[in-house]
Amino acid sequence: MSLNVLIADDSSTMRKIIVRSLLSLGANGLTEAGDGEQAVAHFKAGQFDLVLTDWNMPHKSGLEVVKEIRADNAHVPIIMITTEAEKSRVVEALQAGVTDYLIKPFTAETLKEKLGKYGL
Amino acid sequence: MRAEWINPFLFSLANTFETVLGCRLQRGSLKLRDDSRASHEVSGIIGLSGEIAGMAVLSLSRSLALKAASTMLMAEIQEINDDVIDAVGELTNIVAGAAKSDLGPYELSIGLPSVITGPNHCVRFPSDVTPIVAPYQSEWGPLTLEVGLAAKKASV
Repeated sequence: MSLNVLIADDSSTMRKIIVRSLLSLGANGLTEAGDGEQAVAHFKAGQFDLVLTDWNMPHKSGLEVVKEIRADNAHVPIIMITTEAEKSRVVEALQAGVTDYLIKPFTAETLKEKLGKYGL
Repeated sequence: MRAEWINPFLFSLANTFETVLGCRLQRGSLKLRDDSRASHEVSGIIGLSGEIAGMAVLSLSRSLALKAASTMLMAEIQEINDDVIDAVGELTNIVAGAAKSDLGPYELSIGLPSVITGPNHCVRFPSDVTPIVAPYQSEWGPLTLEVGLAAKKASV
């Protein structure tokens, strides 16, 4: 299935875990970003059906990435994948425009279940 | 260094290893750190700041680091390479991040993790903390969690 997904996380390990799940669900238009600035640059240069972003990244945080994406695009689903589990942080992310939230650590099954809600 | 500050890290470590790796840990007795040398060959280090501040270090034996990375990446990794270093950094990030959430009243921020490799490397904590050391055993080899935190000093 042709689903363009942007994956932003400074950990190459986490990106590989997410990519593996996406591929197993049939997604094939995958773009990776290793920091927040790269993520925004990729988003502006492409067309994405789904964005997955970490919160704590070099150069630009995931929260700032969400705000910049939402300034241009109110509709693309954005899932924040992060260790930030405090209620205040979740609220902050939702207010910034995050569609969904996944807290680390998570199992592969939990990740697939979450992704399955977004056309996969 | 208060016991209530380390408990979230102990819980988070066990939960992370079980959730991400399917690996159960057996904890030994807690003790105060008395040596600047890291316990094992691969150490993930992360700073914390807020109303309390300091550092957490996750030190993995070579065999455990290789097996952890192999499991996360679903690949057979046989040497300490960039993938292993990144995997240990991410495990350290997850352990500290989840612990931070349980220490909510202290309004903590965590930094980006660093990883040091090599036998007998040294990791020094800030001078105002006395770290607590938690040794663990697993089926893949030993690891140590060290946490050193101190209350923020009042401004003059």
